[in-house]
Amino acid sequence: MITWPSKLFILLFFLLPLGLTSGCATPPQSKAPLVADEVLANEDEIMLWQKSAEEQRVLESTGFIYPDQELEDYLNKVVARLQAHSSPVDLKMRVKVIKNAHLNAFAYPNGMIYIHTGLLARMDNEAQLAAVLAHEMTHSIRRHALRAFRRYKDQPAFLRAVEHTLSKTRGLQDIARFMGISGAMAAMSGYTRELEAEADRVGLEVMAAAGYDPGEALALFDHMITEIEQEGLEEPFFFGSHPKVRQRIENLQNLSDSGYINRGPRIKNSEIFLAKLDKLFLDNAGLDIRQGRFQAARRSVEKYLRIKPDDTRAYFLLGEIFRQRGQVDDATKAIKYYNQAIFLDPTYADPHKAIGLIHYKKGKRTLAKIFFESSLQLAPDSPDKAYIQAYLKLCAQNGEG
Amino acid sequence: MKKIAWIAFFIFAASYLSCANTGGIYQPSSYSFTIKIPAGWRKIDNNRYLFVTKESPFLQYVMVQNRPVSRSFRHTEKKLKTDMLPEEAAQIIVDEIASDNNILNFKVLDNTPAAIQGHAGFKILFTYNDKNGSKFKTLYYGFIKEDTFFNLRFNAADQVYFQKDIETFKRMLNSFQVIKAKSA
Repeated sequence: MITWPSKLFILLFFLLPLGLTSGCATPPQSKAPLVADEVLANEDEIMLWQKSAEEQRVLESTGFIYPDQELEDYLNKVVARLQAHSSPVDLKMRVKVIKNAHLNAFAYPNGMIYIHTGLLARMDNEAQLAAVLAHEMTHSIRRHALRAFRRYKDQPAFLRAVEHTLSKTRGLQDIARFMGISGAMAAMSGYTRELEAEADRVGLEVMAAAGYDPGEALALFDHMITEIEQEGLEEPFFFGSHPKVRQRIENLQNLSDSGYINRGPRIKNSEIFLAKLDKLFLDNAGLDIRQGRFQAARRSVEKYLRIKPDDTRAYFLLGEIFRQRGQVDDATKAIKYYNQAIFLDPTYADPHKAIGLIHYKKGKRTLAKIFFESSLQLAPDSPDKAYIQAYLKLCAQNGEG
Repeated sequence: MKKIAWIAFFIFAASYLSCANTGGIYQPSSYSFTIKIPAGWRKIDNNRYLFVTKESPFLQYVMVQNRPVSRSFRHTEKKLKTDMLPEEAAQIIVDEIASDNNILNFKVLDNTPAAIQGHAGFKILFTYNDKNGSKFKTLYYGFIKEDTFFNLRFNAADQVYFQKDIETFKRMLNSFQVIKAKSA
């Protein structure tokens, strides 16, 4: 049976133009055998690398990359540490972050790993990060893309598979179009069950060999499945898919039972991880608020507040989460957080305006007027000045309330 | 937005010869508004929105829509509510557009209250790039009346066409009339 990931690779190589600029794309030279028939680079792999480089160029020109060089350096140090304990392949693994609140990470065959802010924001420590990076790294180092491609390219069902794949790819999320076909495949459907299981097993070995607590891999996926189930998340990508995450948990549980998880030193590196990612937690919360994923946003902000308990913007965002969600008692909760933001920084205009809005909607025009006025005094050139002035005018027209 | 332009482009191309282009007051059968279409502009009425362009959807278009307040958006899980203030509705529209991964370098230039033929609403002016790097500018008006969200937007290539056709759009806006608050 031909699986979806393989179909997509077949599509990639037979339907997409191959005359692409290749430049720096050179497949890895193995210093030790990985899989007997996959050691040497050949035309298939060269094409695969060329296409990957082209897709990455498009993806990185779209403005989706999260601009935080310090964070990127940190992620690359973690992946270098993992690679030092992996198969000795001459393949430089690198990591970049994509501004996207969905749960996702994916690797290209040429060693480039992309990880979404949404997935990073769900992690608690460096060991959990290592679990995902080691899994993705295994896809590149073990040449899963090439193996999938070779396995199916000559099979008779090829044309039917291509046709079927075309119909499926129309449903890809918008961002997947920028990833290209191979990136979209890696990000959305993953590889075959066998290859994903291999990535689980080898990834766990590598993270353990690098000194990380392998139990954190299971902890991360347990956390994610709870979130997906409790909040009914419907996500398009591999790490946000309920069955795929469930499969990871089953694999890791089996490996745990067979002794993989109970060996070696146990590093979590929570403090450094949280310190490096603190800004990302808040930025990703902003993305979640924008998409109306208020529970996820709240978790990110609360995680941030555990690191920086006196941050005014974080309290303001908590207020925004409750005000915009608008359930019973949410206005009261919102005001509590806005007041905390004002307490920490009385010159912060945004929570003044937000409290004014809540009072205004409740018809409490006198109170609303006080907060709108203080907001304007604090930020006379605020972008929402025209709205505030309009509210003040209506407060004056409607009289006391 | 790009998708809309492509869909419109194909429909437009396919029906180019049969499109009405004489202008005049237009009342789509499935809508609850009337609007004056400028002479020389061609319309596409697909029961979900009224789409009007002069040369090509990639150069300029006006889109007019009435949709149920309760209808979900494509990119944000937030929903409009009948008791929302114009500013709150505007924020949801901004969030919907900003969450669309086809919209690159999205920048809100202006977001202010606006009266649309007497209805309290909002006006958002923004720019964005498409995947090919082309820059577009959009002027988006919206308001909620009963259980319907009305919106009118003018989208054009930023460099020339926005300035060239903005006055035509404003004349269309001034001709817009709600005849009953019923969603398409």
